[in-house]
Amino acid sequence: MKENRNILIIDDEVQIRRLLEISLSAYEFTTFFAENGKQGLVAAATHHPELILLDLGLPDMDGLELLVRLREWYTKPIIILSVRNSEEDIVSALDRGANDYLTKPFRSGELIARIRAAIRSGEERKDTPLLEFGDLSIDMISHVVRKGGEIVRLTITEFSLLALLAKNSGRVLTHQFILKEVWGYGYLEQTQYLRVFIAQLRKKIEDKPANPVLLITESGIGYRFGS
Amino acid sequence: MQETGRRLNLPFKTKFYQYLLVVLIIGLTTLICSPLSNPQSYHIVSFILLFVVALLAVFMGIGPVLLASTISAISWNYFFIPPFHTFHIEKTEDRLMFISFFIIALLNGILTNRIRRQERLVRDREIQTNALFQLTEELSKASGIEKVLEVARNDFKKHFNADSWYILQDGNNRLGFSPRPTDEKDLPVIERNIVEHVFANSERAGRHTGLSGEAGLTYHPLTGTRLNPGVVAFRIDEAAYKNRIAFRDTWFTQISNALEREFLGELAMKARLLDESDRLYNTLFNLISHEFRIPIATIMGASDTLLISQTTDKNREELYGEIFKASARLNHLIENLLNMSRLESGKISLRPDWCDVNDLVNKVTQNLKLELEQFSLTTVIPEDMPLVKIDFGLMEHVLYNLLLNSCQYSSGSGEIRLEASYENGNFILVVSDSGPGLPPEVLPNVFDKFFRVDGTKSGGLGLGLSIVRGLVEAHKGSVKVENGLNGGALFAVSIPSDMPDMEESKLAE
Repeated sequence: MKENRNILIIDDEVQIRRLLEISLSAYEFTTFFAENGKQGLVAAATHHPELILLDLGLPDMDGLELLVRLREWYTKPIIILSVRNSEEDIVSALDRGANDYLTKPFRSGELIARIRAAIRSGEERKDTPLLEFGDLSIDMISHVVRKGGEIVRLTITEFSLLALLAKNSGRVLTHQFILKEVWGYGYLEQTQYLRVFIAQLRKKIEDKPANPVLLITESGIGYRFGS
Repeated sequence: MQETGRRLNLPFKTKFYQYLLVVLIIGLTTLICSPLSNPQSYHIVSFILLFVVALLAVFMGIGPVLLASTISAISWNYFFIPPFHTFHIEKTEDRLMFISFFIIALLNGILTNRIRRQERLVRDREIQTNALFQLTEELSKASGIEKVLEVARNDFKKHFNADSWYILQDGNNRLGFSPRPTDEKDLPVIERNIVEHVFANSERAGRHTGLSGEAGLTYHPLTGTRLNPGVVAFRIDEAAYKNRIAFRDTWFTQISNALEREFLGELAMKARLLDESDRLYNTLFNLISHEFRIPIATIMGASDTLLISQTTDKNREELYGEIFKASARLNHLIENLLNMSRLESGKISLRPDWCDVNDLVNKVTQNLKLELEQFSLTTVIPEDMPLVKIDFGLMEHVLYNLLLNSCQYSSGSGEIRLEASYENGNFILVVSDSGPGLPPEVLPNVFDKFFRVDGTKSGGLGLGLSIVRGLVEAHKGSVKVENGLNGGALFAVSIPSDMPDMEESKLAE
């Protein structure tokens, strides 16, 4: 990890801010804070952070609204922090351009892993023709997928699904987004196809399909390609 | 009398028409009898006229009948008794005949009319008694204030041909603000001050009464023996109902009694609920203070030690671990309390979606990795297990609580078995352990709120399984418990689920 990576934390809870500051500084991240939406907008514009951690419950404005306003110009990763049982909020946040989400309470280790994944995926060139994840390689030009050197036979839909997730590795894609991209607008409610194809893909590319590490389910929200 | 309005046809409705009709009918009879106008047969005409008068007495009021008697006597005299076309009567016997004709016609008319009135009164009384009886029956079937009001409104409309509005008290002797039904488009202006007066003094006021007679509506108090349900407001044409005041008052008494019954029932129910919630509150309070204190004490103690004393690295690590475990336990407690309150308040909204059971099992076993470590977990999911339509997030809680329950209550190093299947349109999930099982007598109570088997180690609020049942029932499914073949507890969840509808061609693309 390079030093002096700036992370902006927009959260109104002092204890959480303090905790994040300590946890993140241990991994060489520089943190700075905003207590509310207005401060958050200003801080993002002045400090150009590498990543923003955004709490959806802010005192002065709706977190989703702040997210939309940030996304008007800010292209680097935004990770949402939220309380539990708010799947709908999380889905709306992801649909509005958030990269990932964490529900409170979360483990620091998990947070660091997500931050790293988000920053890394932001830096990698997504239009490289060859994506590699461990022993899995995906050739975006020839549509050839290899696992441990062996060619994996995929149908056209399976490949589009895998390619979409792999291109966005480290990012949570919502069901609706995936269905729209792979099957088209007519299939937004047809999650059964998505489930079946994910299960098929897992059998083909996961070492242990029952315990997947690449195609990770985000309950009630969508999928993430783990890297 | 309203009922007669139904029996008589429209032209009879007003007095004027009755008089006109009497004149016409007598005139017509006279005309028809004109061929009999000769000295031999004029007696026959008198019988015919008497008959017509008697007939008219059945249908007409007393005034028209008197008129009919008079004109028939005069016209008999004028047209039929010789000499014709004079009022002069020559023979003495004809004179006597004329007088007796007049008297007979009169008596006949009056008596018939009286009999008819008597009969009408008896009929009306019977109708009213029947109506009240029917009302009593309907009211006894109606449960709940809304239902009683519905019956009252319909019945009022039936008998008095008018709408009625009810301003009820709130159970604390304060009048509610809005009259019921409130959704009426043509809701009249309810004179608030009159309503208050009627309610406070239990006396009629408003239109057609001595009090505030200028008001638009009549207000009648609904009074009971133990509490006064409220006030009824209506606008009826009092003149048309003046002989039914007794009926109307009895009617109001019936409605008042029914409403009073409902009010008292509701108050008793509230008292019972309050008692029950008091009991639950106490249980919850005791449990929370106990269950929360242990992890909090752990966190405070461990962090305090870490802050002030110099401990070995090994001890430090252990203390950190304890803090983490204690906070995880607190988190789980809060989660269960939140879920419970969401279930109780009915705020859980199901968002069912197609779901891969493998995903569900994987997600939950990952979350419970630490707890499951010391057990050997066997998972059985058929290769051809179809997708099931469930709320993934909620079913995660179900499976999580069931597995955690198995971990907590089966002795260490035991086996835990998790089986999923699809049978007859139902998604079946069975979790069993090799622990000591449950005493048969507690099996029916296992899913009760705050229920815990006596003598088990501390470790929860006794909410987990009741949440399981709540969430499964939210899915229109069922959960049962028994002691399995190996003696351990066995929980079986069954949730109805369709098979997904998929095009074969799409699957191969």
